[in-house]
This record gives sequence, C-alpha cells and structure tokens, in this order.
Amino acid sequence: MGKSNISNNIRKLRFLNGEMTQEQLAEKVGVTRQTIIAIESAKYSPSLELAFRIARVFGVPLEEVFSYEAEDKTS
Amino acid sequence: MSFQQKNITVSLVSFILILGFYSLRVIQMIGNESFTSGNVFWLWGIIIGLAVVVTIIGTILTHIVSAVIEVVRTGKDDPKIEDIEDERDQLIDLKGTKVTYTVYSLGVFAAMLTFVFGLQPLVMFSLLILAGLVAQIIGDVFRLVLYRRGF
Repeated sequence: MGKSNISNNIRKLRFLNGEMTQEQLAEKVGVTRQTIIAIESAKYSPSLELAFRIARVFGVPLEEVFSYEAEDKTS
Repeated sequence: MSFQQKNITVSLVSFILILGFYSLRVIQMIGNESFTSGNVFWLWGIIIGLAVVVTIIGTILTHIVSAVIEVVRTGKDDPKIEDIEDERDQLIDLKGTKVTYTVYSLGVFAAMLTFVFGLQPLVMFSLLILAGLVAQIIGDVFRLVLYRRGF
C-alpha cells in the first residue's frame, strides 16, 4: 500500500501540452479525474492499456511517461 | 472526494446505523427474554429489507447531492457527475469485496462453532447476520483506505 515504484512525468507532459488539465486528460483516456490525480501522485499504477492510452495522448513513447525504479533489496 | 468514495461513505454510514439498530434490538430481546425464533427471523427480514432499501436510497441521494453541489460549484444547469467506474474503482471494489468475504467467512465459521458449544441455532443465525453487517462495514472502510492511501 502507498507509493509505487513507478514514477511518471504526467504533470510535466500536461504542462508541455498547453497546460492540459487533469480533467481533460481523464476525459481523453476514459477514466475519472481522481484516477489521474492518483497516478500523478504515484498512489496508483495504471494498467498497461491505460499507460499506453496516456502516452498516446501526449504523442510520446511509454518510457517517456513512466519509469520503473526497482527496490534495492541489498540495503 | 470522488462519486465512488461518496457512495462508499454513504453505504458505510448506513450499515453502521443498521448494525446499531440490530445490536440494540438483539440486546433488548435478550433483556426482555423475547429472544425467540419468531422474533429473530422477523428481525432478519427487517435487516435485509433495510439493507436493500438504504443502499438504493443512498445511491440515489448521493447522485442528487453530487448534482446539487456541482450546480452550486460551477453555476451550470446541466451538471456533469463523474459516476463512471474506471479500472481503479473496479480494482478497489474487488479488493474490498475480498476483505468483505474473508471477514464474512470467519464470521460464518464462528457462527458454526456455536453448535460445538451446544448453543441454540438462534445464536448461530444472529451471528450470521452480525457477521454480514460487520463484514460489509470492514470492506467499506478498507475501500476508503485504498482510495486515500493508494495501492
């Protein structure tokens, strides 16, 4: 529970796409604004399909939107 | 707070009230020595009826209140309520349902144990409905926690 290992650049990409609002992005990918808020704050990791839909809205590859940081289990 | 969260909150409050009513009636019955099969099954009917009616009315009220709040907030005559259930809502609902069923299963097991201790079947039936109400409440609390803290 809590923050996931997947970070994202959605806030930055929204800004670069003419200050797109969370509501506009939510409408384009077919989810609620609350879900976009949860994804942006790394409280929810989206499904692969939703991740691709978000990347397509911004016209960038998936890895430019999301990045995965593996947990360091040695420490 | 999203529409789904409001709906869960309304359900939570409703089931807490129903649990309160149920507990009070059972305690009264035991106090009055009227804890009989007829009374218990009558109470069963009331609780199930209340749960169905309150859930329906709760959902309708949540829609109406959300629409009123949206009209006041935006000033538009045709308010847009985000009542769609997306993948996150469905996942949270599934996790909540899993918790509800787990708690209910434990409750059913505890109710069955009353036979082992030689108690009346009435005790088992009372525990069954109590477990159902408690399981629903714990499931709703768990759903709200998932909405707040993420997963």
